[in-house]
Amino acid sequence: MPFYKCSKCGRIWQYPLSECPYCIIGLDKMFANQSKVIEVSKVMIPTTRHSFVPYNACIIEDENKNKWAHKTTQDIKVGDDLSFEAKQDPKIVGVWRIKYDFIEAIERTIDLIGGINFNENSKVLILPTLISITQPYFRENTSPEFLMAILDFLLSKKVKLENIKIGSQSFGEIPIEAMADKSGLLKVCLKNNITPLDLSKLGFVKQDNLEISEEALKADVVFNLVVPKAGKAKATENSFYILKKENYLGLKYLNSDKEIAKDLQAGLPKMVNLAEAEYLQTADGLIVFLGLFLASRSFINLDMILNEIIMEKKLPEILTEMKIEEIPIAGRDIKEVQLDINRI
Amino acid sequence: MYIKGVGMTKFDYSTKPWWQFAFEATMEALKDAKMTIKDIDAIVFASVSSATSGEHQTHKVSFLSDLFKTNVPIIEVTSVCGGGGVAFWTALHLKEYKNILVLASEKFGDNKSEIVTDWILSAAEKATEQTEGMLFPTQNALVWQQYMKKYNATMDDLSLIAFKNHSNAALNPKAYFYKKPIELEKVKSSPVVSSPLRLMDCSLSVNGGAAIILSTDESDVKVIGSGFATDYLLTFGREDITHFKATQLAGQQAFKQAGITPKDINVAEIHDAFTSVELISYEDLGFAEIGKGAELIRSGKINLNGEMPINPSGGLKAKGHPISVTGLAQVYEITNQLRGLSEAERQKNPLPKYGLTHNIGGAGGSVTVHIFERTK
Repeated sequence: MPFYKCSKCGRIWQYPLSECPYCIIGLDKMFANQSKVIEVSKVMIPTTRHSFVPYNACIIEDENKNKWAHKTTQDIKVGDDLSFEAKQDPKIVGVWRIKYDFIEAIERTIDLIGGINFNENSKVLILPTLISITQPYFRENTSPEFLMAILDFLLSKKVKLENIKIGSQSFGEIPIEAMADKSGLLKVCLKNNITPLDLSKLGFVKQDNLEISEEALKADVVFNLVVPKAGKAKATENSFYILKKENYLGLKYLNSDKEIAKDLQAGLPKMVNLAEAEYLQTADGLIVFLGLFLASRSFINLDMILNEIIMEKKLPEILTEMKIEEIPIAGRDIKEVQLDINRI
Repeated sequence: MYIKGVGMTKFDYSTKPWWQFAFEATMEALKDAKMTIKDIDAIVFASVSSATSGEHQTHKVSFLSDLFKTNVPIIEVTSVCGGGGVAFWTALHLKEYKNILVLASEKFGDNKSEIVTDWILSAAEKATEQTEGMLFPTQNALVWQQYMKKYNATMDDLSLIAFKNHSNAALNPKAYFYKKPIELEKVKSSPVVSSPLRLMDCSLSVNGGAAIILSTDESDVKVIGSGFATDYLLTFGREDITHFKATQLAGQQAFKQAGITPKDINVAEIHDAFTSVELISYEDLGFAEIGKGAELIRSGKINLNGEMPINPSGGLKAKGHPISVTGLAQVYEITNQLRGLSEAERQKNPLPKYGLTHNIGGAGGSVTVHIFERTK
């Protein structure tokens, strides 16, 4: 759990504020290695946001004496350590509660799925979701805050700015530039001196049935920034934007998205899918607060877990034959974060 | 300022809208003050009201203008469960108005309890506490467990508080549990809501309204102390989680202003949203030493026939807790106690001289304390 401290007056916040209002200086992020359970209450009454009971509600304390609330469906007792096991499994989905701080959520979920080894020569392609000309609050496109956070995260890992590329393409009539502008993503790119790429204007490399963006193949890591939507497979859908448009449409005519996804997953294993699920769009386009962040190397597994969390019954065709019990999870249990969005 | 008139509806689960509760309480207060709405120079109003019933709206001041056919200033303040107390505190600071109506009303119990609970939960922090299942009973259960370990109190102490307040409410015609006393054993064996707190440790969210008319003209009850303090929304980020700093600060302000000490208080209405909150508040308000609150309830001194009855109305626990209304319902009760107008069985004899009200918003996030003196 991140905390932020003023080095001058010692005040501590759970909110990532830019500066201390008393001392007018920046806050330092506090790090803790150990977190212990200091109190537990078993909750027996359901609410709309916590419909599965009983669960344990705990107070957690770290070595800096900072305390916070934590819910778990596991058996837990006072004195237990609170820890989350990371696993090296390409199928795993990391689930985390986002608490105001995108960078913390990015770091934790990437750790949960086994981590990424960056070095100063690492090349990264960021593939934001960019599908409509809408303001950020509609949650159709990647939010500017998330894009900014992923850039800050990469810079903190010593990845050079010149090795970071941001790009996508339009499969429809709407020009990608217009979407980038309205969504606020263009502003983030320009602020960081990054020229956004229209992948459709760059090269593609044929790899079996697929024609994959050259930029994606050149990168050591491709970050697929997912904007989830109920009843959709948005991680999978967005991953298709690294394919040549004509190639994708042709394959879609002959096959199904499911088969394209299977080939793409095999053809581009270095893709890491990050879902900003702080807010989520319902099937009707309404916005619901979910407070989550997810990561996985498997876009299809990430889509499946997201739909399971929101208890969506109408799954897209691409997910219909998947078995939730076969998808490994790290971080938070599904039951403790599950929310039936149709009841909100 | 003086209390000129008080009014309160019966607390219930009737289907009346919030404005009906507001109107009924106001009419009772006006008649008590021997006034009409024409005499009111300003109104301070508190309400949150459920969004689920379709009657919730965010411009209630204009609704009240229409309801009372008045164009005086109307201020709406919200501080959830502490809204009534904050409205009262605000009115006391409006020095240029002669007669001020302080009003609160709520239509809250109007849907399945899990939806009402979720709505109440919106008074807690969203990203780090609501998402982690910190219902208000849960927050208070965790605080109480820490308290028990630190000070050797027991669940039986809380049962005594619930039993006391239910016994008092059984005598109060406006309480939800009027004529419905509950046996101590039933309190102790009620179902667990959030361990260790049981159903009978939790107050009852009901519907209702209350109105107080404050005036610069002298009357039989004077407000002699007023305190208001706030504290962090994140409950576990506070310095001491087993006590409510805002209660301590608001209490100190009120006693300093009144020029009396906790020992002078004859009767009090304390914010017993949970029985544990009542016990901890004995200490925060200075009625017991820190860690000795349990001794006070065990002593019987705060029972109806004791030296200083606490929650003679039945409190939030058994009279009912219509969120913003509670703070003013407490003023209603204390005023009637000081005037000798409460029902005979609930009335202290001789008449009390000093009374106190203590109203909390959220899990100790905003607290008001007011002290009243019988002047005649």
